[in-house]
Amino acid sequence: AATEWNASVWGKRRAFTENVEKIAELVSEKTDGAFTINVSYGGLSKPKENLDAISIGAIEMAQFCAGYHPDKNRLITVLELPFLGVSNLEEEVAVSNAVYAHPAVQKEMAQWNARLLMTSPMPQYNIVGTGEPRDELAEFDGMRVRATGGLGEAFRAVGGVPTSVPATEAYNAMESGVVDTVAFAQHAHLSFGTINRADWWTANLNPGTVNCPIVVNTDAYDALSDDERAALDGSVDEAIAHYLANYGELLKRWDTVLEEKGVQKVMISDEVLAQFRDKAAVPARDKWIAEMAAQGLPGQELYDLVVSTLEKTRAGN
Amino acid sequence: MAGHSPVLEDGSLLSRLDRKLLRLERVFGLLSGLAVFSLMVLAVISVGGRNLFNAPLPGYVDWIEQAMPLIAFMGISFVQRDGGHIRMDILIGQLRGRALWAAELISVLMMLALMLALVWGSWAHFQRSFDFAAPWWSRDSSIDIGLPIWPAKLLAPVAFSVLCLRLCLQAFGYGRAMVLGLRNPVAVPLIQNTADQAAAEAEQLDGRG
Amino acid sequence: MDSITIGLWVTAGMLVLVVLGMRVAFAAGLAGLVGLVLVFWAKRDFGGEHLGWALTVAIKTAGQVPHSKVASQALSLIPTFILIGYLAYYAGLTRALFEAAKRWIAWMPGGLAVSTVFATAGFAAVSGASVATAAVFARIAIPEMIACGYNKRFAAGVVAAGGTLASLIPPSAILVIYAIIVEQDVGKLLLAGFIPGAFSAVIYAILIVGIAVVFKSVGPPVRGFTWRERFVSLPPALPIFFVVVIIIFFVYNPFGDAWGTPTEGGALGAFVVFLMALYRGMRWGELKSALLETAKLTVMIFTIIWGVLIYVRFLGFADLPGAFSDWITSLHMPPLLILICILLAYAVLGMFMDAIGMLLLTLPVVYPAVMALNGGEFVSAADSAFGMSGTMCAIWFGILVVKMAEFCLITPPIGLNCFVVAGVQPDLSVQDVFRGVMPFFFADAVTIALLVSFPGIVLYLPSLVG
Ligand code: NA
Ligand code: NA
Repeated sequence: AATEWNASVWGKRRAFTENVEKIAELVSEKTDGAFTINVSYGGLSKPKENLDAISIGAIEMAQFCAGYHPDKNRLITVLELPFLGVSNLEEEVAVSNAVYAHPAVQKEMAQWNARLLMTSPMPQYNIVGTGEPRDELAEFDGMRVRATGGLGEAFRAVGGVPTSVPATEAYNAMESGVVDTVAFAQHAHLSFGTINRADWWTANLNPGTVNCPIVVNTDAYDALSDDERAALDGSVDEAIAHYLANYGELLKRWDTVLEEKGVQKVMISDEVLAQFRDKAAVPARDKWIAEMAAQGLPGQELYDLVVSTLEKTRAGN
Repeated sequence: MAGHSPVLEDGSLLSRLDRKLLRLERVFGLLSGLAVFSLMVLAVISVGGRNLFNAPLPGYVDWIEQAMPLIAFMGISFVQRDGGHIRMDILIGQLRGRALWAAELISVLMMLALMLALVWGSWAHFQRSFDFAAPWWSRDSSIDIGLPIWPAKLLAPVAFSVLCLRLCLQAFGYGRAMVLGLRNPVAVPLIQNTADQAAAEAEQLDGRG
Repeated sequence: MDSITIGLWVTAGMLVLVVLGMRVAFAAGLAGLVGLVLVFWAKRDFGGEHLGWALTVAIKTAGQVPHSKVASQALSLIPTFILIGYLAYYAGLTRALFEAAKRWIAWMPGGLAVSTVFATAGFAAVSGASVATAAVFARIAIPEMIACGYNKRFAAGVVAAGGTLASLIPPSAILVIYAIIVEQDVGKLLLAGFIPGAFSAVIYAILIVGIAVVFKSVGPPVRGFTWRERFVSLPPALPIFFVVVIIIFFVYNPFGDAWGTPTEGGALGAFVVFLMALYRGMRWGELKSALLETAKLTVMIFTIIWGVLIYVRFLGFADLPGAFSDWITSLHMPPLLILICILLAYAVLGMFMDAIGMLLLTLPVVYPAVMALNGGEFVSAADSAFGMSGTMCAIWFGILVVKMAEFCLITPPIGLNCFVVAGVQPDLSVQDVFRGVMPFFFADAVTIALLVSFPGIVLYLPSLVG
């Protein structure tokens, strides 16, 4: 009989979901329609509960972000530490793949009956704000910023006030002064409208990003025929390549968007960046590694893996 | 409000159990109400903190999400005790005597079946977020300030279990009324005719305003 | 059996259970659970050895829904809005409003009835529940009107109709529920209800004056208030305006940046009324019963919400809403005609069903169809069927549907507001109230026709927010 999978993502179809859309298309092509993946935008589960739905076996494929629920996926949050130094999407893919391949990470995902398939690489979360650009460290003091997880901690380290606002309310929060600035990837600044409210955008703050894997249900994966499994595994690279190309187009358009909306592109000096990094990156990393060690998890090893992978990727280019 | 409930009481064991359970239900209901009150207080702290001290309440949204299950679930059995959950009683209201009790019994048994399933399902949901080996026993945390979510998830199976007890009592009450052909059974909500119901609703507001 | 067939059978089964008198929340939850079992089982071709697996997965999937759906910031508006209403009784706001309205406008033909309508509209600004509003004013306004020589059926009709304003004028529990179901911005929806609510009140007032002028004995003018008496009546009603300003300005500030989020606005509004009630002598005993009443009503609403959302989760797996909207858009009929048919269907359904239950049960299927009719969720105004963007269509349809639901509160045979009014006044039968409220069907029909023809009435305020 035909194999039908349900894939749960959220929001609307956008750059961030193109890897799932593409893999669904490729798999169906390669198996002549014998194996189809139906991509559902929120109808089957909530973003924060996609892992639960995978674990139950209600759905076969899902996207989630590590920062939504760090306790469900402690180890993957290494990729959300501030100032890892990842500078483009290709590097983000490389470090994600290395971390996903680590046995301890796979073991943690096995608790959820989940198998890591691929990543949805996100560019660095830069901030937009209103009024005068904030390009000195002192200006981050008392700044109410919409930033979650490790990113929020980074801003806290330099006196910022991370503030809870759901992404969908970010625009309102900015308008009402609940927050002064919002940290998002470019596509999110566009789709949540924060760019329409902004006077400036930091082009090179690059404080970090979120990591959002695609997972599949292990039982469903094991139940695939050899052809189907080959079609799925064999489409990953192509789906990622499509995602990168598509996001690349968006980034190319970005400068035009900034110009159209009259948003100033703020370049932060290397000196200020170095100060920020010193205050935020090292303490956050040490704290994270210590926390993992306390739970018997190989935090140091994973952090080193990220660093060495990054070096290797750069050397290879 | 108490005193208007269309549930008859007497000295029988069934009625005494009904009132014992009611005491627990009322405490749970009050917890729900206090949680609503705390939402109000949270907002005042959040807005005040932000505007007066530039110190917004960290994790405001996280705290709201923790309070909501308390509000939404805890009173569920308290409401069922008086038959307060909404239904259409045009048809069932036409029935009398044994036929009525049989219809009520079937309806309550179907509710019980659903709630037993949901006790299991919501317990499983709690269990996935709970891990004895982890710090704070947490395997699921809130997005901004990392609060463990298991306590909030645990509220669902707890409240649903109390509702299951209530449904068992009501099933027994209706079953007994059906077998014995009673006219005014105790410990079960009786259908009021619409006028009585409206009068009761109006009386609640008496002396306010 | 394919998933669409399962979807249809399960939906039919649920409606049967509801009609037979099973409590709505549980009928929907049970239908959803059974539907999930069937959908998962169908995936394994209904093999006998797979039933256990399907049951387990379905139960665990359904078991996620209550916590997952209820732990939401947006839904927290519902209990706060309900609490405001209960606290307002203790703060004496109801009587204060009626007194002020009476002293200023009772001199007109039908003036006392117009005062009642405006006072209910004012009270609507602190109350999210229509039935409670009708109950309060039946107690305060009907005896006054009868004492001043008003026809008692007419007086009862005015109160029953006036009560329906509470769900359009923010705060409104039912608008929040709509926003949650269709995943639209709560703030914009609340804002959108404001003008249509005031608009309905004005149409009621025009109708009343018209009737009172034509039939002189129905509502004679009441004169004799001095200017001093008029001005003295204003201060006690002022907190209402304070609350309105807070809620509005937290959503949209015409003079600058909004003050915060709608969630905060609702809660601060409740806090102001709470302080007022404390000042008026509310003590722990009264607060406790206000909290218990709030809890009861809130739990009732939330139980329906998660019960229905289990059913909705099943619909997601069965893809019934998708199939329904494909069908609707494939009909060769003008979109506006289809929309009107949908509204008429609500009028019929609403004769028998409770408003919240009706919306929750139907919207998951009807809403996507209406959006598809307009050209999709992300359509621009220029390419759309109704001449408005997807977001605006969602808001417009929401207000139309809520107005329909409110209309159903005064239509026989199940018109809850009429029952409540008759219950408060023992010398009025339900038939009397239904007869008295009949002219208002006409007013509501006019209002709805105008809202359909001139969407600007609904969309002006939300379009300012951008
Ligand atoms: Na209202
Ligand atoms: Na009706």
